[in-house]
Amino acid sequence: MSDTTEVGGAGTDEARILGRGYRPYEGTRAGPVGAVSSVAWHSFRLALGMGRPARHKILPVVTATLSFLPAVVFAGLILLVSDLVTGDIGLLIEYHEYYGFSGFAVVLFCGLVVPDVLVADRRTGMLGLYLSTPLKRWSYLVAKAQAVMNALVIVTIAPLLVLLLAYTFSGEGPDGFDGWVITAGRIGLAGLAYATVFTSVGMAVASLTDRRAIASVGVIGLIIGSSVVTGMLVEVAEMSANFYVLNLLSMPFAMVAVIFGEPNGPPELSALLVVLANVAWAVAGGILIWWRYRRLAAKL
Amino acid sequence: MPVVETAALTQRFGATVALDELDLTIPNGVTGLVGANGAGKTTFLYAVLGLRSPTSGSVEVLGLDPMTQGQQLRALVGFGPERNVLPDEMRAVDFVRHLAEVRGLPRKESRTRASDALWLVGLGEERLRALGTMSTGQRQRVKLAQAIASDPSLVLLDEPTDGLDPVQRTEMLALIRQVSTEFGTDIIVSSHILEEVEQVCDYVVAIDAGRLVASGALSDLVGDRGGLSLELGDDIEGSETIGVVQAALRATGLDVRRDGVRLVVEGADHDELCQRVRDAVAEAGAGLRRLDSRRSSLEDLFEDHSTAGAAL
Repeated sequence: MSDTTEVGGAGTDEARILGRGYRPYEGTRAGPVGAVSSVAWHSFRLALGMGRPARHKILPVVTATLSFLPAVVFAGLILLVSDLVTGDIGLLIEYHEYYGFSGFAVVLFCGLVVPDVLVADRRTGMLGLYLSTPLKRWSYLVAKAQAVMNALVIVTIAPLLVLLLAYTFSGEGPDGFDGWVITAGRIGLAGLAYATVFTSVGMAVASLTDRRAIASVGVIGLIIGSSVVTGMLVEVAEMSANFYVLNLLSMPFAMVAVIFGEPNGPPELSALLVVLANVAWAVAGGILIWWRYRRLAAKL
Repeated sequence: MPVVETAALTQRFGATVALDELDLTIPNGVTGLVGANGAGKTTFLYAVLGLRSPTSGSVEVLGLDPMTQGQQLRALVGFGPERNVLPDEMRAVDFVRHLAEVRGLPRKESRTRASDALWLVGLGEERLRALGTMSTGQRQRVKLAQAIASDPSLVLLDEPTDGLDPVQRTEMLALIRQVSTEFGTDIIVSSHILEEVEQVCDYVVAIDAGRLVASGALSDLVGDRGGLSLELGDDIEGSETIGVVQAALRATGLDVRRDGVRLVVEGADHDELCQRVRDAVAEAGAGLRRLDSRRSSLEDLFEDHSTAGAAL
């Protein structure tokens, strides 16, 4: 875009005028795929507070730190005092058990970070501006879901990878290269499954309001509330344990256990039921989001 | 190829008719889409962008059907909305770069062009400032910059001078003109301020309550209407001068009517009219304060439309 014009004359042989200016663009255009990718990356940065004032970084950093904290503590213990961890005291945790330590941090991350990705565009009117580009409603939502997923896997996959590396370096890791790859694959799959359910639920709640605070309370309330209600139904009212499929706090956790081939209870539910419950939550969230955005008139 | 072509374009929302069988062709250049608030201007822009299916009729933009080729079309269109859609925390250059990327430009190219577009609109020195710290005038310029950064074939600007003071308004209109003339970009400017449309546009589409009032080249719609308009001096000797002169002119066979404090004299021969007016004023012993050729403005179009509507 910049022109360089040489200026002759004694003593000015090295002089240049760097002419800047608006020019026609004749290169290729990325189309809808580029648009999705750009919005996904922009929204990912937005979610983590990147390129925003410091106050927007506090919640993502604090909640992400909380989700990493157990992994860092376990990694430190196993690398520094491995006898305490792996010996008779046996503090070594299994990978699928990790979410028992970080689960609440993941819920907080989902509740406090995810809503802004959707809510801000509707509140400011950026949604209308986006829809004046090659983006359609569905491709806009795909971009947003991709951004939320990318943000969530930071807290669902990365801490477990820290744990895997610590176990590996301390000699407590999976047996052989194959075992290592399988474990890493399970960690990835489990983290994706966890992130998918929370992406869907988080975005669905966020699609219902233009107020970020209300969306945050809604997401956290729904996840915690579903756990309380199903606990009362099953434990107090002694209803069927299958009601736990409505428990948004424990269902992704049970899914992780299924992926690692471990018991998913108590109460133990069939692996198929656990998988179907998680798929149902993800699909239900997706349907709600689509229904909301189909009805939502983009204000130009 | 026309920029926009519609045939019986109709958009209804329940019982409300937002666009009523619009038949129009918008050629290259700067086109003013004028009408009062609620006239259907934004609905028309929705249709041009393919964001809402028309109830009936058709629209073609840059040779593309917005409903079936919307994505392809919108990659070629820059849009500056009326609403304040700028995220306060973002820097101007990041905002413009992001929208250029979304409209299909490669990342590196977007970065360069975002800076260039901001320099063009006079915000080069301010490009690293957060949008929330900018004045209304600067934010309007940012909206123009993001609309043109991707080098679109067509730019749609919805009320681009909203909230600007007269000096800023003039500067913004000059920028719009510059973008069109220097870079060959077709522009549709939606506005309810008729003077600014007259100032910057080549072509005008005037709509009222969803109906087409007029469309055509500005030079055809606005200009010499034939006849004279005169304003007389103060009344003399207790008689109403304007009535006396009106009677005198009518006595010579001219078609004369009162328009407030003015007399409007119809007729085609300008020199002949001037002479007869001069004589009639002199005979009446009146003073002539002002004598103009009658010029029509866009406002006249709407007034004529209202009058015709009332007559029906």
